[in-house]
This record gives sequence, C-alpha cells and structure tokens, in this order.
Amino acid sequence: MTERCWLALVDEPPHAAAAAAELAEPDGAPAGWLAAWMQRAKPVRSALRVDPRIVDPRGDRGWVSLVLVPPGFALPFDDLAVQQARRDVLARPPARAVSTLLRDSSHFQGAITVTDQRRDADPFARLAPRRVLRVGRGLFGRPAPPVGPTIERYGSANPWPWDRYG
Amino acid sequence: MAEGLPFAAGDALPDFELPDQNGNARRLRELVGTDATVLQTFRGWWCPKEQRFFRRLIALQDEAEVGYVRFVSLSVDPPPVSAAFRAGLGARWTFLCDPDRGVVERLGLRETTDTLNDPFVPAVFVLRPDLQVHSAYNGYWFWGRPTADELVRDLRAVTRDIRADWDAPTP
Repeated sequence: MTERCWLALVDEPPHAAAAAAELAEPDGAPAGWLAAWMQRAKPVRSALRVDPRIVDPRGDRGWVSLVLVPPGFALPFDDLAVQQARRDVLARPPARAVSTLLRDSSHFQGAITVTDQRRDADPFARLAPRRVLRVGRGLFGRPAPPVGPTIERYGSANPWPWDRYG
Repeated sequence: MAEGLPFAAGDALPDFELPDQNGNARRLRELVGTDATVLQTFRGWWCPKEQRFFRRLIALQDEAEVGYVRFVSLSVDPPPVSAAFRAGLGARWTFLCDPDRGVVERLGLRETTDTLNDPFVPAVFVLRPDLQVHSAYNGYWFWGRPTADELVRDLRAVTRDIRADWDAPTP
C-alpha cells in the first residue's frame, strides 16, 4: 500500500484533504476541524495514521471520542493496557467507526471512536486524555465492525483494526 | 470426519448475508476476508453442549486474537439473544443470526430431530479465504466436535498455505 490515511486536528479547513468536517464542543462552541488525507507523506506535523475505512466524505454528522497521547509521552502499541483496550472494543457493542492512531510502527498515539449518539464509555480513554466532540458531515462513514477476535495489527505500520495485509 | 454434513473438505460454502448480533448486515465472504476462519453453527444459547463447547472456543480465543484468524458463530437465535449470549460468554467475535431460517435451509444444516427449535446442526468448518472448506466437524454428538488441538492444527495448515511468508525470510 503506497498511500496512507492521515488524520489531524487543525484550526482551519485544510487544502487538499480527502475529507474534513467541523468540530464543536458538546455545548456547541467551535473546536476546529478534523481532516483526513490519503497520501504517502505526512500532510501536517500533527497528523496521525488512521484506518482508511472510517473515512467517507459522504459520512453523516455524529460524535467523536478522541483520545490522544500527550506530546512527550510514548506508549508502546503492544503495551498490555493497549491490548486490553482493543479486547474491550471487540467485546462491546460496536461503535459506528473506530481506529487506533499511529505516529510510527511501535507506539500507540491515540484512538478515535465515532458514534451517532454521544457515548461516554471508551476503552481507550483509560490510556490517555480524551475529548468528546461533535463532528459535522463529510468525514466519517460506517465501515463494517471488526470481525474478531484479532487484536493485532496486520503489519506494524497499519492502524488496528485494519484487517488485511498489503 | 464430517459424515452427515452437506459440506466436506474441498467443497466451497456459498456466500450469504445475515444480521450480526447487533443487527448489522454482514456477508460471510467479507467476514472471512483474507484469513483462516472458524465458522461454527450451533443450536442455541439453551443447549448445554453448546455452552460447554463455547468454553473451548473462548479459551482458544486468547490465542486466536494474535494469530490472524477469525471466528464466526451462527445460529437461529435473533440478534438480541445472540448479543446477550455473546456478552455473557465473553466472546469477542461475530455472531450471525438466522431467525428466519433461510440460511439454515439453504445450507442444508437444519437439525430435523428438534422440531421445537428448528436449530442448526452443530458443526464446525475451518475455512480458507475463498470459503473453501479445509475441514468439517459434525457436532451432532458432542464428541464429533473438534478439540482445541485439532483446530490449532487446521488453522496452522490453512495459514501455512495462504501466507507466502510462512517460512521466515532469510538474509
């Protein structure tokens, strides 16, 4: 796979993004934009790799639970706590879309969970600070939930739950 | 092995679509994807033999989660029942639901001796990504079901066959 899917929180609607949607705090206050790019190179400094199946420019509005490991901290993707969070995701009723976020092949940098209604429970929120935000139309689709029980990545460069090699 | 089942090693299962335990429409071919897959048909949550066999699969789940294989369980239980049963078991794989019994008839897997529940015959199929049956186990009698060791052996054989890098790359 030569192209990668990148996701980043940005202040302004980005140029050349494959999809983007406006964010708002739960009380409606503007919270910037969330954008996705399909390209080999990282589009902006803060961009993280995401499972491309969750991105859909025709996607409906919803809620996101955005978990991000703070700058300066490093959490191995194979850490037992990260493994358990992935198990918990599979055990629970599925979200509309979910993906871990990667900066490199070794570390868990965060996760994004998309739901139609606000959902307070997020297994990844045990690992790092979380923001719950409203997301507008045009970014997140409704991919098939993970089949289970695989919690491993298909190649260390691919965000879980991407489910095939290549 | 697999006497009394309409599908044996080398046969291809037909693709079909059913709701999962959450009511999402799922196709078998998409669930199997590119991995070796254990497809289990079972009578229903109420059957003691199924409850015991599921404990075997639950134990194997902890190995399967790192082995790039998939599990799919299939019964005539409706989605809410399957979701509750799955949660109670602690299963982390997909349950398919055939309450209208269209797929059980299409596959020829209806257990005709149970006219009260009209369930699936208990069976286990280890599938290749093209839905070809690698091995089939008729679980009508409990001892016809695969042991964990047999499933590991089958999953190893399919994985060895479908992964081009089974033999670790050498310098």
